[in-house]
This record gives sequence, structure tokens and C-alpha cells, in this order.
Amino acid sequence: MNKIATICPYCGCGCGLYLHVENNTIVGVSPVRNHLVNKGSLCVKSWNCFEFVHHPDRLKYPLIKEKNGAFRRASWDEALRLVAARLLEIRKSSGPDSISIVSSAKSTNEENYVMMKFARAVIGTNNIDHCARLCHSSTVGGLADSFGSGAMTNSINEIVHAKLLFVIGSNTTEQHPMIGMHMLDAVDRGAVLIVADPRKTQIAGLAQFHLRHRPGTDVALLNGIMNVIIDDRLVDIPFVKRRTEKFDSFRALITKYPPEAVERITGVSAQDIKKVARLYATEKKAMLFYSMGITQHTTGVDNVCACANLTMLTGHIGLPMTGLNPLRGQNNVQGACDMGALPNVYSGYQEIRDPKSRKKFEMAWKVKLPRDPGLTLMEMFNGVLKGDTKALYIMGENPAVSNPDVTHTVNALKKLDFLVVQDIFLSDTAEYAHVVLPAATFAEKDGTFTNTERRVQKISAAIEPVGESKPDWEIICALSREMGYDLNYRATHEIMEEIALLTPIYRGILHHRLEGDSGLQWPCPSATHPGTPFLHRKKFAKGFGTFMPVDYVPPAEMPDSEFPFILTTGRTCFHYHTRTMSRRTSTLERECPECLIEINPSDADSLQIKHMNVVRVSSRRGVLTGRVYITENTPGGVVFMPFHFGEAPVNMLTNPALDPSAKIPEYKVCAVRIELIK
Amino acid sequence: MKEIYLPIKAEVVEVLDMTPDTKLFKVKPERPVHYQPGQFFMLSLWGKGEVPISITSACGFHEYVELCIRRVGYITSAIHEVKPPCDIGLRGPFGNTFLAENAKNKDIIFVAGGLGIAPLRPLITRVMNEKKRSRRIALLYGSRNPGEILFKDDIEAWQEKGLQLFLGVRKGLQFILSAGKKDNCLLSGSGPAAESSRIPKISFKNAYAFVCGPPVMISPTMITLSTMGMDENNIYTSLEAHMKCGVGKCGHCYVDGVHLCTDGPIFSYAEIRKRRLQIV
Amino acid sequence: MKKNLIMDKNYLSYWLRQIRKTMSLIAPMRLKNADIVFKQVDNIHEIELDCPASLPSPKEFLLPQKEYMFRFSKNSVDVLKDCTKRLIFGVRSCDISAIDLMDRFFGEKFVDEYYMSRRENTVFISIVCNNPDPTCFCIGLGTGPFLKSNFDIQLTDLGDRYLVETGSKQGADLIRGYSHLFSRPKKSDYDDQYEVILSSQSKFEKRISLENTRQKILNEKINDLFWDWIARRCFECGGCVYACPVCTCFNVVDRMEQEGDGYRFRIWDACMFKGFTRMAGNVWPAEKKGSRIKQRYFHKLLYYPDHFGRFGCVGCGRCTITCPGHVDMATIAHRIDVGDRRRR
Ligand SMILES: Cc1cc2nc3c(=O)[nH]c(=O)nc-3n(C[C@H](O)[C@H](O)[C@H](O)COP(=O)(O)OP(=O)(O)OC[C@H]3O[C@@H](n4cnc5c(N)ncnc54)[C@H](O)[C@@H]3O)c2cc1C
Ligand code: SF4
Ligand code: SF4
Ligand code: FES
Repeated sequence: MNKIATICPYCGCGCGLYLHVENNTIVGVSPVRNHLVNKGSLCVKSWNCFEFVHHPDRLKYPLIKEKNGAFRRASWDEALRLVAARLLEIRKSSGPDSISIVSSAKSTNEENYVMMKFARAVIGTNNIDHCARLCHSSTVGGLADSFGSGAMTNSINEIVHAKLLFVIGSNTTEQHPMIGMHMLDAVDRGAVLIVADPRKTQIAGLAQFHLRHRPGTDVALLNGIMNVIIDDRLVDIPFVKRRTEKFDSFRALITKYPPEAVERITGVSAQDIKKVARLYATEKKAMLFYSMGITQHTTGVDNVCACANLTMLTGHIGLPMTGLNPLRGQNNVQGACDMGALPNVYSGYQEIRDPKSRKKFEMAWKVKLPRDPGLTLMEMFNGVLKGDTKALYIMGENPAVSNPDVTHTVNALKKLDFLVVQDIFLSDTAEYAHVVLPAATFAEKDGTFTNTERRVQKISAAIEPVGESKPDWEIICALSREMGYDLNYRATHEIMEEIALLTPIYRGILHHRLEGDSGLQWPCPSATHPGTPFLHRKKFAKGFGTFMPVDYVPPAEMPDSEFPFILTTGRTCFHYHTRTMSRRTSTLERECPECLIEINPSDADSLQIKHMNVVRVSSRRGVLTGRVYITENTPGGVVFMPFHFGEAPVNMLTNPALDPSAKIPEYKVCAVRIELIK
Repeated sequence: MKEIYLPIKAEVVEVLDMTPDTKLFKVKPERPVHYQPGQFFMLSLWGKGEVPISITSACGFHEYVELCIRRVGYITSAIHEVKPPCDIGLRGPFGNTFLAENAKNKDIIFVAGGLGIAPLRPLITRVMNEKKRSRRIALLYGSRNPGEILFKDDIEAWQEKGLQLFLGVRKGLQFILSAGKKDNCLLSGSGPAAESSRIPKISFKNAYAFVCGPPVMISPTMITLSTMGMDENNIYTSLEAHMKCGVGKCGHCYVDGVHLCTDGPIFSYAEIRKRRLQIV
Repeated sequence: MKKNLIMDKNYLSYWLRQIRKTMSLIAPMRLKNADIVFKQVDNIHEIELDCPASLPSPKEFLLPQKEYMFRFSKNSVDVLKDCTKRLIFGVRSCDISAIDLMDRFFGEKFVDEYYMSRRENTVFISIVCNNPDPTCFCIGLGTGPFLKSNFDIQLTDLGDRYLVETGSKQGADLIRGYSHLFSRPKKSDYDDQYEVILSSQSKFEKRISLENTRQKILNEKINDLFWDWIARRCFECGGCVYACPVCTCFNVVDRMEQEGDGYRFRIWDACMFKGFTRMAGNVWPAEKKGSRIKQRYFHKLLYYPDHFGRFGCVGCGRCTITCPGHVDMATIAHRIDVGDRRRR
């Protein structure tokens, strides 16, 4: 039996694990003990992360859709030739911008880079985006405005040494279990834990302070906290003076948020707001964490800016055991952003509008590159319905379940002239594809993942690809050769070399430096640089940190007499996103086989609903049915549903209203009605 | 070494619809099997999985076995799709049995709720077929509605042989639950064959009871029977649990120190109390 | 069968290299990331004997996390049994004690042929622990740091040589034919072994008496609130069960590949999951996390002793290492012992 060290394919924690291989079959998993993130622990998904690799549903050869709508097996040659021909044809007839590319936060950095190069250099469009749009685009946007860099500022292994942890909008123990573990360790060492979350999650149950604000009132809550800090003269004045700008206009706005007024908006007592504000401001080693509860709102960017303001106001940034720490969802969503799988930047957040960087990439890639930023994820689908987008190339994502307002998305998918889906399973989205290309899983390829704390880590192939499947990068390279651009790498380390060459923050990151280690944290500007555990040390990435005054704006859709409940969505610890992997894992699927709709006992009483009754949940956009799970953990007036289930696609209900700048949809608040089905 | 996980082949020869969600399967195992009342098979459908199913045909050494299966989930739905002739897999018989030997010549009361009649059927048939029987036998049988009464033919045959029958329908289970409240009576339901407020004519002191049915029914019934004066050691029931192996290895059915599949599924009320087994 | 010998340390690699010709050799190896794991040995010089306990335990060679049981097609069924001959070198005493428990569990009543087939083809060479980890507490359970019996071969590191004790026929077979490598032990060798064991015993940081814990539970000093309180920190990862060398639960899963073709495998399962005992119609007999943790610890602390006369824990400390919420045997035993019910 051999054991191959690699990185977990599920969440952004980036835990190290071994795959146990016998006769080219994975028979087990065990945690890496010396890994800085997981230290010998794993979560349930990770302990079972090998089962889906050998699932019979794996796509084993390319599929081409026949006229009658059925898929037939095809050879790689035929499939690639067809894709190349169709893409070239559409590019010729409707221009390169009629083709859009959806990259993947599940694929490696190398693959995202190659995909980005494929879009820009081969197709000639900036229409490339990925699911970060749906989870953390507001982080990227908001923090770019405030600090100049949209990533977790500090490191996971600082958490245990912190003295105060403020967690807002993150169900950490379930969604980022290994970060949750570090938090509990910190609490054991005497740290104060403050959780702001409408739901009583496990971590909220362990916190000294649990602020149960109403969904969507985060800005008000944070402004209220800052109001107290300013009033009590707890502002870190030297820091604000030396390192930030625009404090005065910000201060003027904050006076509008005395805790008593905030209490009325959020439902959190003024007393608690004051206590928390004082604790946070006076403790030097205070870390702030947030996740999808902050970002997935129409006010997502505002929420992020409010968090950033709080850290600057108290000087809790640029030092160890402090900072603003967005917890990224997918295992490589940070990497996919870093690699420039975004419509407006090249790898390393180099603006495409900036002629200097464009020039650099043009020289390296030896082609002329498009100048204007491309379409974002939701705009692509809108573009299809408008008729501007003709072809879509989706790598490893499942928008038919994960996009908001899925009916709209499915209509778009149906309308496309040409859809290529490259995935490990025949996902709901792949059903609509004209060509499906079988990709290899994390266990069958080499490359790197970048976890939420910017740690670039090496993954290694444990087995041969199943069937005829191939790693994503090989597929893209073969396709681009078919299209007449010689994209040629012998192995993933060659791609990494090119990335390092063209990307200042990755300059020193090369495969041989990652081997047998817990990786390197970018920025890593040279081949001898040890990596950067915390950002903004002496100076913000953009020079001065900017206070962005943000006002509380209620969510786009509030409950009314017709739709009296707030629906908020999230995940459970047993599944991952649209379940393509986790539902093919026996233990995970058994634990959580169906979508349970969580409501508060008092609401259940008034609706005369009993535990496990079947109900109909409807919003202005759609209807679905499911069983009710009655729990105190969900506050009154709120309904919680996980979005994993294609059979109960919650995103049929959610509001596709977008944040004006980040274009992130409001997954966390929409109005619904609940009726008992007799 | 004996392969404990390898099912033997069995041919489904006949499928009878009993109620909309319950079917009776007559199967012919590759080789005849010997079993006792109360035992179960692990029924195996390749590609779907295995489920424990009680044997409902007369016990002994037989070429055919009958299994009565209700459609409740993934595997049972798949079994319901089976059309004869077709092969399924069987492992077993597993589990302990209703110890009817101790009950020799004692009065017996059977209490069945819904599908609970299935595992009791072999035992009832056996005692009803005893030659020169002097003891009294009663069956209390509750089901949700008249259409869901299973094994009507058998019941008639038993009645002819002197079985005291008490049927309760509609709130079939409740008629047994409400027992003991009104005038120390065991029955207060209504139904085609049941008059209200009757007590089986048996001597509770020395009688044996075999109780089978859904968990909500089991513990109140056992409590009632013991307040009626029955010895706790003489009240038996069959407990249910999630089972995967049936041979005491997978651990799924392990509760409170016993493997229900090998140490059970039949337990006396005294044992349940002593071990504080959870009835779910 | 029981026979004691002395072997010069320099002969070890030669001996192992010879044995490797007839069976697959598995031993603790140091990896680039400084972890020590049990895996197939490519280079005998890379074996690390002076190392912390491996994660997971060597039970994975007898009961792998995922084990194929049958491959079936429309009209045939193949039994897939592993009969590879293995030597597992450098196992700890606690793990050997755990394997002894597993042997009894899988061998009683219905004999588990998959386990047995692997077991009969595997020999273990265990080593007396000179340096117990801070998490180890086998000393209070008699399952380590050395064994008096039940091992195949036990080595004691005496500096420049090993004391080699054989305790079974399989162990003796490994020695046969290599008498030129071994010599008779002198009295001083036994004295040295005694020293080693004494010094090792003095190094234990954790002294835990599970018997006290058991008594407290039996005397009903512990109520369900305690378990619920403990459970608040459980992440439901199942790691404690997966990592434990004594835990044996598994699930059986069928996978259909094409019409009629497929396989049935078993995979580690854990009583820490709500669905472990789920019954049709959404009945969860152990819906509360606390009741599941209670079940696991009652099994180890009450039911194992009742049935096997030994605790279902060998004090290896792996649950302490792997549990993200510190819900482990040592912590729970300690909490029960000192009666600590405070918040934290
Ligand atoms: C000793 C014994 C005898 C039984 N006899 C009969 C009988 O004669 N007729 C009959 O219709 N049913 C009987 N059952 C119940 C029957 O086994 C379950 O209805 C069946 O397992 C449900 O499986 P499923 O896949 O259809 O349900 P799902 O809900 O899809 O179950 C999934 C898995 O959970 C397990 N499981 C779920 N519910 C149960 C349960 N109640 N008992 C055991 N395992 C469960 C199974 O292993 C199954 O693989 C018996 C159960 C036991 C323990
Ligand atoms: S319970 Fe913990 S310490 Fe005991 S044997 Fe299992 S893993 Fe080791
Ligand atoms: S290892 Fe810890 S967190 Fe995981 S299931 Fe066990 S007790 Fe719970
Ligand atoms: S069913 Fe497997 S142990 Fe009882």
C-alpha cells in the first residue's frame, strides 16, 4: 500500500491528507499530522473524499449529443475536433465576445491559468469568470477598494494565539471545520469568541456572545459597533492617522448609528453591541472572520467595507493575530481568482485595462489581447437570453443548480448555440451540453491549490485517470492546438513556471519549493522568499487604507403579508455545494439524503406544522416542496434551507437581485411563504 | 470457511399484492433452509443492497419461504419492482427465535400491529395446528384500516381452530394503547369483528405474550400486559434496528450492549427492562 | 513457541530484506513532510522506528477503510478476498493488543472471512516503546508499552542490539532459517530490557484509570446532560472511530456499473453519525449527538469489559490526536474522573 500526500478537494481550508492506494485503487484516507492547517484532523467530507473517485457514474469518455438529444460515446479526437470547429465558427460569425468561459474553483491553479490563457489568447475574449462571483466577488471588490487586496489578511495558525475572535456570517465549524478547530483551541486558551449569526450554529453555541441580528442587517450592526468605539474614544488614532484616509466623512456617517437605533434595526440589544464593541476595540490580538453571510447580499460590498472599516478603526490589521479574514468556500477559489479567471484581471490581479500589464501578457503569449473587461457570470447568462452570447464553455461548475433563479439559467442553457461542459460527472448542467468532456479528479492529477489563507499547496496524482478522462489542463491544451494556437506544456510544473514569470505575487512559487511542505503563502516575490503569513504589514497594498462610508440598506426583498418569512440559504457539513461529489459518497449521502427545511418551533406552531411534515415553500420566483425540520437554531420568522439539492433547488426561490458593483446575487435573504401539504 | 456475507440464490416464484404498499413474496432458495419462528433473512438485491426481512411462512424445513414486505424506502421499493421469475439473494436465517418451548401448554396472547403479524404468523400457525390443544390462544390485531388486514385467510382458518380474535381498525393501534385504562380492559376499539370492551379469555398469570408491531405500540402494550398480571419474563417482542450484516459484525444494530441481529431481535420484557433497551 | 533471542542491530536490514522476498513489507516510513506513516517499504533504510504513533492505526491492513467484497454480474458473483502475505514491522504494543481484540470480535460466532483471510496472511513485528507520546496512556490499561504475550515477534531496543521475543508460530516461522543472525540472550540482556521498560514507563505523561471511569458510570454518577455538554464540541467527523484501532463498524454499499454489473464493498462507518442507526420513515434512534457519544463510550467502557473482559480502548491516544473538538477518551475519562461539568 502506498500513501500519497495531497490536499482535500472540498473546502477552502486546504487540509493535507494521504490517499491510500492499492492496485491503482484508492482504498482509504488519513490526515497529515504535520500539516499547519489540519494537524492530524479531518472533517467528515475529507475522511470520505476518495469514494466518488471510483464511482461508476464517472465520465469515462467524451460524449457528443445526437440530433435526437441523446448522448453518444465519442473519441477524444472527434470531440475536440468538433468543439474546435464549432468555437471557431461561432467566433467567425459572431465575434470572440459571443463566446464565454466559466472556469472552476475546483480545478488547480495551473488549469485556471491555462483556461484564462485559452479565453484571452486563443478565443480572444475577456468573458471568463467562475463561481467566486457567487460567493466572494464582494470580498474581492470591497477589499480592493479598502485595502487594495482581496484575500484573507492573516493565517490560520495564528488563530490559536489570538485573544478575541469575532465571527460574522460564518458557520465555521460546519463550513470550514478545521478553521473552527483552531478557533475552539483559541477559546480553550482563553480567547473570547463573539459570533454574529441569525442562526444558532454550533460555533454560536460555544461563543461567549452570540448576536442574533436579523438577516441582511450586517451593515447596521457593524456601524453600531463602530459608533460605540468612536463614542468611547477607543479608536486607534495613530493608526488611523498614519495609515488610512477619508476618516472624517466616515465618522460623520457613523454618528447616525447609535446602538439604540441599531437595536431597532437588527434586533440585537444595545447592551450587547456596546459590550462587543468595547471588547473588540480594546483587545490587541483580535481577529475578524466572515464568510458567505456577509458577502451574499445585494449589499455584499457594503458589508465587506463595513468589516474593513472596523479593522482599520481599531488598528486590527497588518499585525499577526489580527486582520480581516474572509473564509473562502471552494478548495481553490482563491487560486482561481489569483489566476485571473475573472473578466477584468490577469493572473495576480493585474488589470487588463492597464496597458503595461496587457503589453506584458501580449509579449509572453505572442498574440494581441482584448482590451475591455468581459462579462461576469450572471451577465453571461443574461447575454445568452439577449442573444449576445452564443457559446459557453463550462469547466467543472454546475450553474444549473448553483446560480440564483435557476429557471432563468436553465432557459439560457437551453438557448445556447453551443455548450461544452467539462466535468467529472454528468452534472445537471452537462445534460444541456452539446459536448461533454471527461475530466480527471484531484486524485488523478498534479498541480497546486491555493487555500483561503493564500497558501499555495501541491497536489499529487495518486492513481491513473479513470477511463479515458484527462486532467483539465491537458484537455484545454489539446483543444487549443486543435484551434491553431500552440499551447504546449509537458507537465504542470512548466505551467507554474510561466505563472511565476508573469505574476509578481507568485514569482517565487515553484513546484519544487512546495514538495513535502505545507506550501507557501503569497505574496512570494522571489525564489528564496519564505512567503507572507499576514498582509498589509507597515503599508496597505494600495498605500493608504480607505474608509468607505456605507449606509444600511435593507435587503432587496423583505417579507410582507404575502411572503411573510425570510429565507436564508447555506450548507450542511455533510454535503458540498451541488453534491456532485458528496452525493456519490455513501456516508455523506446517508447522513443527509434530502433537503430539510429548518424553521423555528414557534413558527411551526402558528402554521400547525409538525416535525417532518411536507411543506410547500414559495417565493415570487418559484415553488418547491420538502420536509420540515423544526429547530430552535433557526430564529423566528426565518427559514433556512441548504442549497445542495438538485431535487429541491433552493435557488429557484432566491432573489437574483445583484450587488451593484460586485454582481453577487442575494442568496441570503428573500421572502417566502410556507404552506403545509396535507 | 463459511461465507457469512455471500447470499445464496433464491428464485421469486410468486408475488401477491396484499395491500397497496405490501406484497407477499414466495421464494425458492437454491437449497432448502431450516428456520424457527421469529428469525429473519437478509434479503439481497445485487446493486441495491440488503435488508432484514422476517420469515412469515410456517417454520421448519422448507423448500419455499414467504416474505411479507412493505415498501418504505430505497431497497424495499426496488424489491417491489421484482417480477417473477427472477432471482434474489438470501442470507440467513439469522437471529434468535420466539421461545415457544417454554410456553408449552400455557395460554398465549399474540399482539400484532400492522406488519407485525408477519413474523408472528409462523408461530401462530404452529400453535393453532397443535393436536389436542387444551390451552387458549388469543390474537389482538390492529391495523390502520380494514383494507390493511393481512393474512385474512389464515386468520379465518385459525379462528376455526379456536383462536379468540380481536380486531381493531381505523385507529387500530390505539385500541391496544388505550388498554388498561377503562375497567382494566384490554380492548376498547371498534371494528367488524370486535365488540368494544372485551377481554381475551385467558389466564394472564401463566400466559405468554408475543408482541410485534411498530415501536409506538410495543412499550405501552408490554406495560399493559404486565399490569394485567403477566410475568415480565413471559412477554416477548421483536425489536427493530438498522441492520447491514445480520451477523453481529457491522455494528449498526448494536445498542445498549447487544447486537439486535444476533442476540435478538426477540427479547423478553424483563430483559428489555434489565438492559434498558431503547424501543424506537 | 516462546523463544528469546538477541540480534545485532546491523543485521536487521538484512533480515528484513530476506523476508521481503516472500511477503510484502510494511513499516513506518518518514515522509518529506516529516510525517511517519505505515506504508510499503521501498528502501529499508528509510524505516523509522523511533516515531510517534501512526495515524491511522495498522487496523487498515486488516480492515481497510474501503474493501471490495463481491463483484457481481447478471449470472455470477465473485468473492474478492485479499490473500496478500504481509509483514507489518514496527507496530506498537497497543496496536497489537487492539488486533487481539479484533481477532476475538471477528472470530466469534459468525467468523468474518474477509478479516480472517487478511489476518491469517499477516504477521506483526512489534516494538517496545522507548519513548511514549504525550497522548499515550496504555500503561494504565496493560496494553503497552510492552507485551507479555499475544504478539508474533516483539523487539526491545537495547542500544546496539534487539531482544527478539517470539510469541507465536507465525513469528517463529520468520526466525527459522536465520539462526546465524541471532544469539542466545545473556542475563545482562534481560537486565537491560528491564531498564528500558522501566525508563519507558516513567515517561508517561497521562495516567488514566478507565476503571474509575467505569465505576463512576456504573454508579450512575454521569447523566445525559454530561454527554450533551461534551457533544457541543463534536464536529461529527467520525475521525475518532476511523482512527481507533479497536473500532470495527462498517457499512455495506452496492454500486452498479452497467446493467447487472457492479460491486459490493464495505467501508468504515461510525456510530458518531446520526444516520448510522437511521430507520425507514425518518426514524433516528440516536438523534442527539450526546446520545451517540454516550453509546460509543458505553461500548468501550462498559460493554467491552462485560463481553471480552477488557476495555474497548488500548490507550493509543489516536482519538486525542485526531479529534478537532477534543472529545476523546483521555479527555472524557478525565472529565468524568474529576467530575468537571463546568462550561469549559
Ligand atoms: C429483524 C427485522 C425484521 C424485519 N422484517 C420485516 C418484514 O418482514 N417486512 C418488512 O416489510 N420489513 C421488515 N423489516 C424492516 C425492513 O428491514 C426495513 O423496512 C427496510 O430495511 C427498509 O429499507 P429501505 O432501503 O427500503 O429503506 P431506506 O429508508 O431507503 O433505508 C436505507 C437503509 O437503511 C436501513 N434501514 C432503514 N430502515 C430500516 C429498518 N426499519 N430496519 C432495518 N434497517 C433499516 C437499511 O439497511 C437500508 O439499507 C424488518 C426489520 C428488522 C430489523
Ligand atoms: S478510544 Fe482513543 S485511545 Fe482508546 S484505543 Fe481508541 S483511539 Fe486509542
Ligand atoms: S473525532 Fe471528535 S469531532 Fe470527530 S466525531 Fe469523534 S468526537 Fe466528534
Ligand atoms: S446487523 Fe450488523 S451487527 Fe447487527
